[in-house]
Amino acid sequence: MGSLLATSRSGAGDSPAQAGSTRTPAWPHRHLLDTDVLTWPQVELVLDTADVMAEMVARKRPRSDALRGVGVTNLFYEASTRTRVSFEVAAKHLSADVVNVSVTGSSIEKGESLLDTMRTLESLGARVLVIRHATSGAPYLVAREFGGSVVNAGDGRHAHPTQALLDLYTLRRHVPGGTLQGRKVVILGDVLHSRVARSNLWTLTAAGADVWLCGPATLLRGFEAWAAAGVGGVRRFTVTSDVTAALRDADAVMALRLQQERMAAGLLPSVHEYAARFGLTAERLRLAREGCLVMHPGPMNEGVEIAPDVAAGPASLIKRQVANGVAIRMAVLSLVTSAAARGEAGS
Amino acid sequence: MTSSVRHRAGAEIGRAVELDLSGAWLVDPASGRQGPGELVVRDGRIEAITWLDGPDAAGIDDGGVIVGPGFIDLHAHLREPGNEAAETVASGLAAAAHGGFTTVCAMPNTSPPTDRAEMVQAARAAVAAAGSPVRLLQVGAATVGRAGEQLAPLGELADAGVVGFSDDGSPIQRPELLRNAFAYAGMLGLPLIDHPEDLAQTSGAEAHDGLVATALGLRGWPVAAESSAVARDIDILAEVVRDVPGARLHLTHLSTAASIGHVRDAKAAGLPVTCDVTPHHLALTDEWLAGSRRWAWAALDADGRPRDPWRDHVLEADPYDSALRVNPPLRSAVEARACLEGLVDGTIDAVATDHAPHSQVDKDVEFGLARPGIAGIETALGVLLEAVEAGLLPLARAIEVLTAGPARVLGRAGGSPGLVEGALADLVVVDRGARWTIDAGALRTRGWGNPLLGRSLPGSILLTVAGGRLAYEVDGH
Repeated sequence: MGSLLATSRSGAGDSPAQAGSTRTPAWPHRHLLDTDVLTWPQVELVLDTADVMAEMVARKRPRSDALRGVGVTNLFYEASTRTRVSFEVAAKHLSADVVNVSVTGSSIEKGESLLDTMRTLESLGARVLVIRHATSGAPYLVAREFGGSVVNAGDGRHAHPTQALLDLYTLRRHVPGGTLQGRKVVILGDVLHSRVARSNLWTLTAAGADVWLCGPATLLRGFEAWAAAGVGGVRRFTVTSDVTAALRDADAVMALRLQQERMAAGLLPSVHEYAARFGLTAERLRLAREGCLVMHPGPMNEGVEIAPDVAAGPASLIKRQVANGVAIRMAVLSLVTSAAARGEAGS
Repeated sequence: MTSSVRHRAGAEIGRAVELDLSGAWLVDPASGRQGPGELVVRDGRIEAITWLDGPDAAGIDDGGVIVGPGFIDLHAHLREPGNEAAETVASGLAAAAHGGFTTVCAMPNTSPPTDRAEMVQAARAAVAAAGSPVRLLQVGAATVGRAGEQLAPLGELADAGVVGFSDDGSPIQRPELLRNAFAYAGMLGLPLIDHPEDLAQTSGAEAHDGLVATALGLRGWPVAAESSAVARDIDILAEVVRDVPGARLHLTHLSTAASIGHVRDAKAAGLPVTCDVTPHHLALTDEWLAGSRRWAWAALDADGRPRDPWRDHVLEADPYDSALRVNPPLRSAVEARACLEGLVDGTIDAVATDHAPHSQVDKDVEFGLARPGIAGIETALGVLLEAVEAGLLPLARAIEVLTAGPARVLGRAGGSPGLVEGALADLVVVDRGARWTIDAGALRTRGWGNPLLGRSLPGSILLTVAGGRLAYEVDGH
């Protein structure tokens, strides 16, 4: 097969500012590997489709036949509850045949390559492969060879496209006016290791948000240069370790999970110091606009990157994120399988 | 006038060459001369060289058939013994000849490594069995098992004919051991070849620590991990040479401006330091990991500032191509430009391929799990000629860094590459104007994957003659 990339990978070209265009939304992507390839109309198509899916889920019997007879395999090389179950529920709502495969490192020890595993699952009927992998870029390798659709459920530090889409969906539903244009959105914490931050950077800047990345300097390595270059070479964002400046007048804050191994790697002195300086507390949140939306991709370390009262506070969207995740994943599964049925090659 | 290349048709590899070349552009780094000429080889010896001028030279330029000395590769991996699925001595030498190389320095990181004299003899036997006239020079391990703990039997290895010592991909980390290796190798009159990398800074590293790695979520391999190792090597060498004047350092596959700056300073101070750069660090950049396929020099603007591949809409290939995983990693366009400038100004002595073939099992995997290495011995000339076409590298310098440059690094073992009447013919005949397409069928290496697959390069090699004998002949010639 040819390149995975039927369209330019330079990202969401048509920003909401130009969204008056009459361009027909189309979904050319057989795979969803990252948000960087999505044009703004394509992002909106996912969100609009998710609206339809959300309504369906809200009905008593949330079933569609859209994926009846379609094998959806969740291939998870990293432990995950939230994302795996979310994909599973989404696929079942669409009447897909769902198979879950967890291979936490063992297959590598047994010597089976990722491509061999993929071919086995394909032979067993997988038409959609939802893959989570610790190595950045692994889904691209699978997509190169797989006959069906590949959906990236998180690869290393690189991307988590359905998370970014559900974050955008959630924000748009709750931000006053329903648009992120000019809204200040802060991503706070371990940006360096975060695939959520990277995928959100593409979609949030495409949505016209004023994106701020904030965290300790050791966990922002490389991002200052990216900010100078701009996302897609054009869309600016701000990088700072000044949590006060970041949170001041913010419309939304997304706290990121801090892993224990960051201390062992010498990136941070201690969990205590991190919580004291960068934890999202009620006191810090008072710097933001009233009603500032609070998000977290989960799983949370309450008392570390986010205080329990903030996570459970009135402006917290954390539970909504989880619920919206199902609708977004239903939308993505239905869009990529439609593209595959039409014979699209694009990612 | 048109070029004519006549030699005995259907000659077998290894047979003595009979050759009549006319209308060619001769490049002789030994005399520093280049120009139109004729060359006659009889029974493997250069019988006559005629430099043409006036009307006889009319119509002959450096864009057609070019003849130069056979190339010398200071750094190649032939994988035998231990990983014959990736390469053998026979396939590696066939690939070398296809790339115009008549001398190849084999690195010691085989399995087991070349840390004993018997291993050198075994390599020599494999060359004889391969039947290739390409000359194989062996680099011995610097430490036992390339483990960096104790010196390998350097004297025995020297007696067996090695041309230098290196632990290559597992560079000596302990400064005291490095100091002793310099001194002992220097006593034997041989260089220590270092792959400069501070391993403490590169644990888990996947890509050049820059914009592309940040965007792609790849763990960064910092410039400082190379340049600090270069500085350490040079500082220790500077002390050792006071006691051991024969001590020499050759730094291989430099990839950063900072490293090249250290070498420039060391050379200015008169220290016995040489270095090489690979074709891929000259011409490819980390942008390629994101899917760009433009040459390094096209990724800079007129002021030498890096361009953005996303803004330029040049991401045409799939990202994370594991064929691009290499150590040191492909750098930014700014670092690549520094390498090219160092090559042109003489700071860098040679181009070496670091031909590093891997089997499909080791390479056709997730980017971060793929073994690092590019098997580029067959595409080295083509890549350099792209830099020549871009006007950034004089043709004569391109030939020099593949011939006289590496020969000087090797000293006595390198000989003096040139076009000399009466000498055994050791030369390469290239049709510079003929582009050839890099596809798996065109390559002789067993190595899986090549970042240039599907592209074409200038400079189809018509003939490679090593030690008077035919090493490679283009199909149908």
